Amino acid sequence: MLQGRNIVEGWRSLLVHGLLALLFLILIGRYYYLMIVFHEKYAEKATANHIRAVPVLASRGVIYDRAGNLIVDNAPSYTISVIPIEVKDKPESLERLSSVMEISVEEINRRIVKNRRGSFAPAKVFSRVPFEKISHLQEHRLELIGVTYSIEPIRNYVSDLDLSHALGYTREINRDDLNRFKKDSDYQPGDQVGWKGLEKFYESELHGQRGFRYIEVNALGQEIGEVQDRAPINPIPGHDLILSIDSYIQFVVEKALADSSGSVVILNHKTGEILAYASRPGYDLEMLSGRISSKDWNSLMQDPRKPLYDRGIQGLYPAGSTLKPLAALYSLENHSNAKERTYLCRGSYRLGNRSFGCWKKVGHGKMNLHDAVQQSCNVYFFNLIQDIGLEDWAHIAREFGFGEHANIDIPGENKGLVPDTKYMNRKYGQNKWTKGNLLNIVVGQGDVLVTPLQLAQFAGMLAQRGTQFEPHFVNKVVSKNGDVIEENISQSNDRVTASKDSWDFVHQAMWDVVNGKKGTARAARQKDWDIYGKTGTAQNPHGEDHAWFIGFSLDERFPYSWAVLLENGGGGGGKAAPLIGKVLRNIAKRTS
Amino acid sequence: MNIRSYVIIKLKELEWSTLIFVLLLSTSGLLAIYSIEAQHESSSEYFFRQSIWTVVGIGLFLTAYFIPRKVIHNLTYPAYGAGILLLLIPIMTKSGNEVSRWITFGSIGIQPSEFMKIFLLLALAKYFADHKRKLSNIKELMTPVAMALGPTILVLAQPDLGTALVYFGILIVIIFWAGIKPLHFFLLLAPIVSMLAAFQTLSFFIWMGLIIIILYFNHLPFWTKILNFFINVGLGGITNLLWALLKPYQQQRILSMIDSDSDPLGAGYQVSQSLTAFGSGGPFGKGLGEGTQTHLKFLPEQHTDFIMTVIGEEFGFVGVMVVITLFYLLIARLITQAYNSKFRFDSVILIGIASIYIFHVFVNLGMIVGIMPVTGIPLPFISYGGSFMVTSMILAGLSANMSSVRRAVG
Repeated sequence: MLQGRNIVEGWRSLLVHGLLALLFLILIGRYYYLMIVFHEKYAEKATANHIRAVPVLASRGVIYDRAGNLIVDNAPSYTISVIPIEVKDKPESLERLSSVMEISVEEINRRIVKNRRGSFAPAKVFSRVPFEKISHLQEHRLELIGVTYSIEPIRNYVSDLDLSHALGYTREINRDDLNRFKKDSDYQPGDQVGWKGLEKFYESELHGQRGFRYIEVNALGQEIGEVQDRAPINPIPGHDLILSIDSYIQFVVEKALADSSGSVVILNHKTGEILAYASRPGYDLEMLSGRISSKDWNSLMQDPRKPLYDRGIQGLYPAGSTLKPLAALYSLENHSNAKERTYLCRGSYRLGNRSFGCWKKVGHGKMNLHDAVQQSCNVYFFNLIQDIGLEDWAHIAREFGFGEHANIDIPGENKGLVPDTKYMNRKYGQNKWTKGNLLNIVVGQGDVLVTPLQLAQFAGMLAQRGTQFEPHFVNKVVSKNGDVIEENISQSNDRVTASKDSWDFVHQAMWDVVNGKKGTARAARQKDWDIYGKTGTAQNPHGEDHAWFIGFSLDERFPYSWAVLLENGGGGGGKAAPLIGKVLRNIAKRTS
Repeated sequence: MNIRSYVIIKLKELEWSTLIFVLLLSTSGLLAIYSIEAQHESSSEYFFRQSIWTVVGIGLFLTAYFIPRKVIHNLTYPAYGAGILLLLIPIMTKSGNEVSRWITFGSIGIQPSEFMKIFLLLALAKYFADHKRKLSNIKELMTPVAMALGPTILVLAQPDLGTALVYFGILIVIIFWAGIKPLHFFLLLAPIVSMLAAFQTLSFFIWMGLIIIILYFNHLPFWTKILNFFINVGLGGITNLLWALLKPYQQQRILSMIDSDSDPLGAGYQVSQSLTAFGSGGPFGKGLGEGTQTHLKFLPEQHTDFIMTVIGEEFGFVGVMVVITLFYLLIARLITQAYNSKFRFDSVILIGIASIYIFHVFVNLGMIVGIMPVTGIPLPFISYGGSFMVTSMILAGLSANMSSVRRAVG
């Protein structure tokens, strides 16, 4: 049986040897790459695998009014979470949870996917769970493997004041924001984040910084114990806000507003502090915080009274006659005979073949500047604007803060509109617009659009003789141990300069609006302090006109300026001036 | 020759290095199982069982070594027949859709498909030893292909794709070793490549071009060329149908090899955890019993198919290299002995054993680091499991037997 030569050709043997060597070299290369080249990366991963950082939530900063009364704080709320890996092969857990919470398994799975932070980390599926449900879950916890609950702080609205638009609300962070905040990696899915108003504007101050406990876990996600050589990181609570809001004034404003739609802004013109801020209708903050049902959301969205719309900073209205002091001031500064000029008001003004009416159909008769402001005579200003260029008017309007952001410390502010030559050319075409447009503008109609906040600021600048303090809601940001982190002190800007004489004249005219026999805002008059004001009508093509009343007090005790807008509140101040009258009486009552 | 002198001659001829490699490999497996259990199993049941299997395996190693060659030669076909019958038992007794790979005797379960590897190997060796001519005609391949196809279909029915591939791998290597012409070998393997290439249009067309060129430049009957070409095109065409026939978990295993992170909790989960275990082991490992990945149960199947992760995590790159080197020396020696063997039967058995080891070692060590699909192929001598431990030991004993015969006068 012995054969002289090998039964297999040498090349076949070599080829198999070569194949063996090649396969083993591939293996060695792969292991080298894994275990030597990328050792550090995997070592980190291994640590992350078995040490779970359990977040400890930081409590969100609370909000006080100017006197330190609590407006918003936090209350405990039960949250139910699911650990994805533990329920993966246990549909019965989710079915049980679904029957207790009365919601479909598909919806629960959808929320798990949405809030997933990893296989072992609890994914939030229900927030604000009533205590009965929690105790029910407790009873059935053996059938609910992988389902956990925790106590999380949620917003608690302590005060009854309706500051919904100013405060805003918090909601669960969405994917977009999560990606946006990525560099500031403190945010995780399921976190509450400021969504509107002050909650949003001061998010970084209020949020705080979460802490961590380090726990060793096995692959089943079972906790083995605290990691010994890694100290927990304590959470840093968010800072508190101290608002400029005066709860008492806010309260009397809200009471005076009752059910009307509109907006009231009252500010301290010497500091820019907003003392009262109402936008009606408001909404239920409790309902909007956290998870809101789509039914509730749709009903809010479709409500014809637009409760989600913050009229104070977003509502754009024609300013109406409240802008007349602006043209008056211009005239006083630029026309040497401003005080003496008279125009005859016969109830309307003709331009070409068009007629522009005064609100007083029978006419005011012979009018001078003072009387025209006091009695809000349109015809007088129709005549006056012929001597004022659009550019000059627009310039002074912008100096009073119209057409620009007031830089209020809540998001979403509208700029409004101050038409100038460029704008009019763009809108109507080069030279296609006429003096007629100008007539509308000077009485605050047509293209001019303002917000209630801008008018309150305008009133404040009139009171301060051209000096502006940027309005703000927050006076101080204070840390939990009382350190002042940030203090809002508005700088004064002398934006409009005019002679003392001119200011005195405007003040006198506005005093007479409230106190004079023929004034249009006599309802705002106060017994023992001087109120200055100007009424206005915002023409509303959809219904009854909106009523404006702006004004200020120069009383040392009450350096307040305001703007009131009552939707469908009638012309010439309508119900707006009486509303302020009531509010001011109540303010005076408090101090007496 | 009496038995006494036979035993003495055989003992003298025994290549102790093979036995030592085998013992070293088994010991490292036991060490890994010990390490897992010492940490958190309350009992040391796996360690105990595997120790028993190792001892039984060494007994069977020696048995396989001492059985006279002639006896093996004569028992080959009956053993093959018996193996087929054993494979049929789990299929017959299969209940419902359960995967059945086991025949159970009381508390012990055996996997006939493991032993079938030995029987198939022997049957193929006998066939090629009996037909000493060179494989010049492709028709001579019909019988060996049929021999391999029978058990392959039976294990596919279980279904056990991994083992089916082992059977097929044995056949391919043995056919090559038995002297198939390169062109025939190419034509035999081409359909498999065609099916793989069909997953991607461009690679399919390049491959078809290559087939046309090779067919064109070789002397084959015209119709054979045409037939071959269309077989390849046709198989490529039905690949997608066949893919659809695979069980979803088999598809997932293949897909998860391509991207282990795509489904971190599915088939890719094991691999992704296994990578972490190896990578974190680093050059020298974390030390015996110190592996966090393996001990905190991040790895399922850690004592069977993923046993090397324990060695990798605790003994590091150095530990892995020691195991790989042992396997290399063991297998390279088999190939050399197969080449040096003067007997066709012995030579084919030796190369067949080498092919089984190569397949198992490469697929297992490859799958746990994500370069091969997760197919449930254990690592010889190291993975926990009686049937395969015993099979590996018998194969090692057989290989020692076959290589000793070159000096024993038979």
